[in-house]
Amino acid sequence: MASEIETGTKYIPEMAQKEIDKLNKSIKTASIKVIEENIKRMKKSWNNRPKTMEYFDEVSNLFGLRAKEIKKQKEAGKKVIGYSCIFAPIEMILAADAIPVRIGSGWYDTAKLGDRIMPVEICPVIRSTVGAKMIGLSPFLELSDAVVIPLTCDGRTKLSEILSDYKPVWRMNPPRVKDDPHTLTMWKKEIQVIKEKIEKLTGNKITRKKLKKTIETMQKATKAFRRLQELRKGVPVINGRDAMLVNQTSLWDNIERWTQKVNELCDELEKRLEQKEYSSYPETPRVMITGTPMIWPDSWKVPNLIEESNPQGIVVVDEQCSGDRILYDPVGVDEWTMNDMIDAISERYLMACTCPSFTSEHGNEDRVNWIIDRIKEYKVDGVIYYVVRGCILYAMEYARIKRVLDKMNIPVYYLDTEYTREDVGQMKTRVEAFLEMLEARIDI
Amino acid sequence: MKKEKTEVISAGIDMGTQRIKVAILKDKQIIAQTQNFVGFEPTKAAEQTLKDALETAKLSREDIQHITATGASVNMAPFADSTISMMGADAKAGAYFFSSARTVIDVGAEDARAIKCDETGIMQDFVVNARCAAGAGTFIEAMARALEVDLEDMGTLSLKAERASQINASCVIFAESDVVSLIHREEPKSEIARAIFDAMAERVASMAHRLGINKDIILVGGVAKDVGFVASLNRRIGMDILIPKEPLFAGAVGAALIADKRAKRKR
Repeated sequence: MASEIETGTKYIPEMAQKEIDKLNKSIKTASIKVIEENIKRMKKSWNNRPKTMEYFDEVSNLFGLRAKEIKKQKEAGKKVIGYSCIFAPIEMILAADAIPVRIGSGWYDTAKLGDRIMPVEICPVIRSTVGAKMIGLSPFLELSDAVVIPLTCDGRTKLSEILSDYKPVWRMNPPRVKDDPHTLTMWKKEIQVIKEKIEKLTGNKITRKKLKKTIETMQKATKAFRRLQELRKGVPVINGRDAMLVNQTSLWDNIERWTQKVNELCDELEKRLEQKEYSSYPETPRVMITGTPMIWPDSWKVPNLIEESNPQGIVVVDEQCSGDRILYDPVGVDEWTMNDMIDAISERYLMACTCPSFTSEHGNEDRVNWIIDRIKEYKVDGVIYYVVRGCILYAMEYARIKRVLDKMNIPVYYLDTEYTREDVGQMKTRVEAFLEMLEARIDI
Repeated sequence: MKKEKTEVISAGIDMGTQRIKVAILKDKQIIAQTQNFVGFEPTKAAEQTLKDALETAKLSREDIQHITATGASVNMAPFADSTISMMGADAKAGAYFFSSARTVIDVGAEDARAIKCDETGIMQDFVVNARCAAGAGTFIEAMARALEVDLEDMGTLSLKAERASQINASCVIFAESDVVSLIHREEPKSEIARAIFDAMAERVASMAHRLGINKDIILVGGVAKDVGFVASLNRRIGMDILIPKEPLFAGAVGAALIADKRAKRKR
């Protein structure tokens, strides 16, 4: 009896269908408006925005063609596998002929719905994802046949429980200590287990040949991504927001088509570089963003502020799992045996990750080193350290990163915010003062 | 050879949340400082304040070569030639008043901030407390109301206290109910007043410590005129705090110094 009550009781209280429909409609309408507004603002800041960007604008509509395309393929028998965090091995999902889509949510309005079951101290990315589920807002989450949730932080651990009220949830247990020899062994086991789950759900065996092919597909995507990143290292030929959007759409687009479109964009941008046709003034202060993922569309409020500020800044690089970390590292295979490929995938997803959920003998040194290297490569003038309330791990690592940056004489600003639009005015004051400071330093 | 006119007259306007302040400089020397309440028509009030300053300085609008605006409602001064952030203006003013300034703390009506600057007045780093009124001037106002004491008398009243009562300073609303219960317990008003300033100083000091305090520390903003707050902050930080003669005008003076620089650049 007791156990029946236990397992039958869910997190999310039942809502009347009428209320769900009403909320879904109004939040969806508002979100489409935000998407359009963001694109409009990006166009305004880059008066000669290349036509190739329009493809990514299209894909950025979370309720648009890409959602319809996935729905059609699902109806034709394909399985959709959602994931909450970039620890999910995309190569394996693709090798089983399934569609991978990231389901983490960037909607401010749904975070308010999440407040109904969670206190506001909880990370808004989690509250927003749960809120979206409450009203069935996210087409990608709704279409998912299963969801991979790597238990990187406390929020995601409980998110896996909440979402399992609705869908099969596959938890992955990444070790939090990276440099112990046995942790990689444990992680490899996790990868193998996920492989079996994917095979069982799809009914498709992940063969050596198929996996090799998808590893190569993702390597090509990394190559295209790095080509675009290379173009952000010098005088600006693409604004930060536009590059961030391109990178983020890789999380739900067809990756082969995405790769092709990024290469087309790079062709155009390389031409522009030759013709000295810049997207912003060459002297624009160069900003790096690090911290909490900035999920499309509502979290664009921060890059919008930076690139529309007076004086203006440009985001040249980020250290975020919603941006430059997604595709930076390729899976490096020595021998194309199944074992070697699984080893290579395990290593790539664990060792290359700079998420603050990890620690090691020297703390999260991989993140520190990533930031130092990128600052040098991208000639960064200042760092915006972005943290949403409740993102404990990023908030706690700030003190160390700040000391490292102080030693490098790189100004850093701790920009704390929430999933809300109400603090834009206050944030503007702070961002503008920071950019003014960077500009004054460049002036000298 | 005919001597070229090298005199620079610049103005800074600080559009605060409660008051508008204007400073006019002639070759970086203050020749007029005026202020008015913002009221319901900030732009009109700004124009009036500038007019007052021009009258004091016996100048006309055309004599001003550059006007720089700053402050929370900076957009409400459309007649300004340029703008500067509040932190940038504070840093400039801090180094102008005291060349030894390395940390400038500004406590205004609605917010508080701390700025690190170098000897030329260029800001190096800053923190702001804009989330909550408990570290700003309106906090004293609200508490003075609860104590039924005139705002101007709060400081001197607090100096009479030998010890401080305990209040919750995380929020104005909580603090107000704490103050009410202290009044009911018949604790001396002076001790409650001191507790209020101590609580505020605690918030401002921890904000400044987050930035890292370098000597010398300069305190500006309207609240710097309150002896009670200054005494509490001195106790809390344990270092001497320097205060310019007219701390209320620091933002306006900083903006006017920027205007001076920009006017020269234009030539």
